[in-house]
Amino acid sequence: MRGTVGKGAVMPNELILNKEHLTGFLRKIAKERELIAPIKNSYGDTLFEVISSVDDVSLDLESRPAMPPKDFFLPPTETLFNYQREGKQYRFEEVLPDVSRVLFGLRSCDLWAILFLDVVFQENFKDRYYLNRRSNTILINIGCHEPMLNCFCKSAKSGPFLTQGYDLQLTDLGDRFFVEVGRPRGRELVDKWDYFFTSATQKDRDEQYEIVLEAESKFGQTVDLDMATSRLINHEVDDALWEELGNRCQGCGGCAYVCPTCYCFNIVDRPVSETQGERVRMHDACTLAGFTRLAGGYNPRQERSRRIRRRFYHKLPFAIEKYHRPSCVGCGRCMEICFGRVDMIHFIKMVCERGKKASQEASLRLGEILVQAGLISREELKVALEKQADTGKPLGIQLIEDGLTTTKEIALALGCQLRIPETAGTEG
Amino acid sequence: MPKVLTTCCFCACGCNLYLQVEAGKVIGVTPSREHPITRGNLCLKGWNSFEFVHHKDRLRYPLIRRRGHLVEADWEKALNLVAQRLAEVKDKYGPQSLGVLSSAKCTNEENYLLMKFARAVLKTNNVDHCARLCHSPSVIGLSNAFGSGAMTNAISELASAEVILVTGSNTTEQHPQIARFIFDALARGAKLIVVDPRRIPLSRFAHIYLQPRLGTDVIWLNGMTKIILEEGLLDDAFIKMRTENFRAFSEMLKNFDLEQVEAISGIPLEDLRMAARVYAGVKRAMIIYSMGITQHISGTDNVQSIANLAMLTGHVEQKYTGVGPLRGQNNVQGACDMGALPGMLSGYQNVADEGIRKKFERVWKTDLPTAPGLTEIDMFHGTGNKKIRAMFVMGENPALSHPDLKATRAALQVLEFMAVSDIFLTETAALADVVLPAASFAEKNGTVTSTERRIQRVRKAVSPIGASRPDWQIICELASRMNYPMAYESPAEIMEEIAMLTPIYGGVYYDRLEQGWGLFWPCPNRDHPGTPFLHKGSFVRGKGRFECTLYRPPAEMPDEAYPFYLTTGRISEHWHTGSMSRRITALSRERPEAFVEINPQDAKRLGVANRKPVRVVSRRGEITVKARLTDDVPEKTVYIPFHFTEAPANILTHGHCDPEAKIPEFKVCAVRLEKVQ
Repeated sequence: MRGTVGKGAVMPNELILNKEHLTGFLRKIAKERELIAPIKNSYGDTLFEVISSVDDVSLDLESRPAMPPKDFFLPPTETLFNYQREGKQYRFEEVLPDVSRVLFGLRSCDLWAILFLDVVFQENFKDRYYLNRRSNTILINIGCHEPMLNCFCKSAKSGPFLTQGYDLQLTDLGDRFFVEVGRPRGRELVDKWDYFFTSATQKDRDEQYEIVLEAESKFGQTVDLDMATSRLINHEVDDALWEELGNRCQGCGGCAYVCPTCYCFNIVDRPVSETQGERVRMHDACTLAGFTRLAGGYNPRQERSRRIRRRFYHKLPFAIEKYHRPSCVGCGRCMEICFGRVDMIHFIKMVCERGKKASQEASLRLGEILVQAGLISREELKVALEKQADTGKPLGIQLIEDGLTTTKEIALALGCQLRIPETAGTEG
Repeated sequence: MPKVLTTCCFCACGCNLYLQVEAGKVIGVTPSREHPITRGNLCLKGWNSFEFVHHKDRLRYPLIRRRGHLVEADWEKALNLVAQRLAEVKDKYGPQSLGVLSSAKCTNEENYLLMKFARAVLKTNNVDHCARLCHSPSVIGLSNAFGSGAMTNAISELASAEVILVTGSNTTEQHPQIARFIFDALARGAKLIVVDPRRIPLSRFAHIYLQPRLGTDVIWLNGMTKIILEEGLLDDAFIKMRTENFRAFSEMLKNFDLEQVEAISGIPLEDLRMAARVYAGVKRAMIIYSMGITQHISGTDNVQSIANLAMLTGHVEQKYTGVGPLRGQNNVQGACDMGALPGMLSGYQNVADEGIRKKFERVWKTDLPTAPGLTEIDMFHGTGNKKIRAMFVMGENPALSHPDLKATRAALQVLEFMAVSDIFLTETAALADVVLPAASFAEKNGTVTSTERRIQRVRKAVSPIGASRPDWQIICELASRMNYPMAYESPAEIMEEIAMLTPIYGGVYYDRLEQGWGLFWPCPNRDHPGTPFLHKGSFVRGKGRFECTLYRPPAEMPDEAYPFYLTTGRISEHWHTGSMSRRITALSRERPEAFVEINPQDAKRLGVANRKPVRVVSRRGEITVKARLTDDVPEKTVYIPFHFTEAPANILTHGHCDPEAKIPEFKVCAVRLEKVQ
């Protein structure tokens, strides 16, 4: 439980918002700030939209919007400054965003992604364009009691409910929302309009707990992100896999454009007239050849497979090393949109599956060596392999745990087989 | 940040996207997730489609040529001048001296109005558009065979096909969303046959890949039909019940020697047998083809051969089967539908038919010309050369897109008058006497028809840039100045007239287009739900017609002086003459310049290294481009995309055409390569 924040705070950290009060609460917010929420439009698409009137929109709190909310912090195209040339002099006029917003109805994965971007955009220097927007935005997420088909936030540890990072977090309890107060600005909101809220009871808490548990058991997609990461770190992914992904990628850039954490941008100067222009930044995608091509025309990642390799390395091990979390939040959007199945879910599954095959082959090879060295019998190997299939442990570990052999014996046998003098020669 | 739903302006997949607008500017796009083709993604062009809208090069005011230079003018002066000059030339030389080029990039309403302008105001049938250069053989060939020149089935049906034969279509690059359905089919276990002279990306996924020599499609297609006939894999019942002229066709095949297949096309006979068995061996097989089939002097025969193959095996008239000519431009299907063709009024109604003319005359309140019109190739190269004295060009760029550019540009320069409406000062507009600034897709309302015959809305997101105006308004202004008042208040009103006169669009009304994702034509009346797949139960023309086809070698074959085949085409990052795509940051960065694909063996012999310049010379002219060494092209064959004005591939191509469809043979000519020292 988070502690009470600020003095004079009267509301507890766990509240109840009756569903019939939601519109009223949002109306109050919209009067003071730009209100952005997921809206299902008349064509059936759910998009984050700026809401001018809370009465004539259909709020969609059941599905993940087609695009992530990053456009509100890092727009697809953004003017950084205008310039004007007078003789030999240049005059610059910075265009700093200035708008206070509330993002309501974020999915947990998307909110988690914003927290990731927060780190990136103030890591080396503070990106004022991003931070100006970000520091004026209140984030309210709704926990996902019903994960969508391709969601895997549980595997990415970014949902379906958050324990930190939000200003307010809602849980749908049927006729009411269970509201958790997170960061100070969430507290400000509930304190200001406290009359919409009541204190949560133990029954509410129990119910919410049930929903969280239930939601976690509903995921259709579970992938082993950690295993894929470790295989990448250990360079256990063969070139054939990258080649295959390279062939299947159609170079649309969609995976980067729809990714809630992809933040790469390009900067160009655009003349508007003979003497005027603007410096613009726009979304970019690392799967494009132009992303890495050098001025002379040489491209260190000329082949598409190299660029995809870089992308997945960046998303998993590099991000984890640098930011202690993957830059994949498990939203599943890339999976839904990729032309050639070069998305995170297919990738992780491919890596794990092929790794499994490779490790099975390695086990067989090791087993054969140990049998030939007379350390174990063929029958013992068979039993160990069957056990290993259940436990998923490496064969060597399985044999040692079963007391059939020792580390030293395995090392010796391997050394002989591979003709490594240090192990095979000294004692042999 | 308002988001306005519209249809993408590039290819004919028909993706729907939301234009994100901020402070009167389009700053990004969001693909529709629910749209059945878009499915939440776009190609790189689509993702960046918004960027050219506000480009500084946009034409912002009309231009008039004064003492050789184009100078700024107001609308009144420019429109008056165009109306006056067109009228003068018409009076002096007769209406047959006027030529009108319509645009597959403009809306249905604009195409309808421009063909109406040509016929009702200028009194000429000399109206055509770029379908002449891409799918005129499909319009003719498939109409002869099936009764309709359009894709027989919906795109999404591809996903459920058991066999897909792709030929002359670089689908992943040119129709990425359609390729996506092919990938879906593959994931479900479908077999893929790719037949293409270039080893296109899709060939890596093919179960059977055949590499014919350029221009030998009739040979391998007839070979395939003969194999199917010989091995008894044909659909007897279908042929008896649904088709005609089979006897003559099978007689022709009797005389077809299978031994010549390998000799001429280079495809091993056994490989072709395998492909024939796979294609004929299942119930649900689809054929996808594009420019590689049509842009030949035998284009119509190529298309007819494909139709023969489909009918022989009964792979048409049903769901998940059929023949799919993939249209290129966002509205090339619609421009054809609207009758921007010399021989057809809207809905493929023959202009030579008096009854049809009467119907249009009653609504248009004027007499219509009876003299047959010229195709756009004839306006420049063929019989029509020098007969045309003045032209009105809407959103086309023949000075870069037509074959044999020297001849094309010469023909443009001898015109007494040319007016061009476009969004940028294209190579063609730069030669015009008057240039009218047009509004882009983001600045106007209308409809476009995708390759699967899906009629969809284009919606205005921002005001026209500068003083530019939508083309439909420009046409109305011109017509009114030529004593034929056109006073439409909106594109919706124009569509009401289209629906009244065009049976296949009879039920298309704007209010209906707001629900669902457009309507498939034929949609004859308001209660009709539209037709996702054609020829259900019987062909549109009644019985499907087999037609004999004979192999004709390409018009210009390699010889000692010009030993290489040149084939031209597109790349995924650019669009046609590049006027839009080359002004988009991500796209121009991705492919900044032209290249010629050369097989490494040939390059070695020539002493040409990768990324080094090569001179490519044909009988028509020469260009210098950088070499790109790749095994994707076979030896003695080179490939150049035609997007780049600084190295225009069409300087090299020739103007010889298919005799029926009048499509030039962009896909084959002879060149020699010279190392640049």
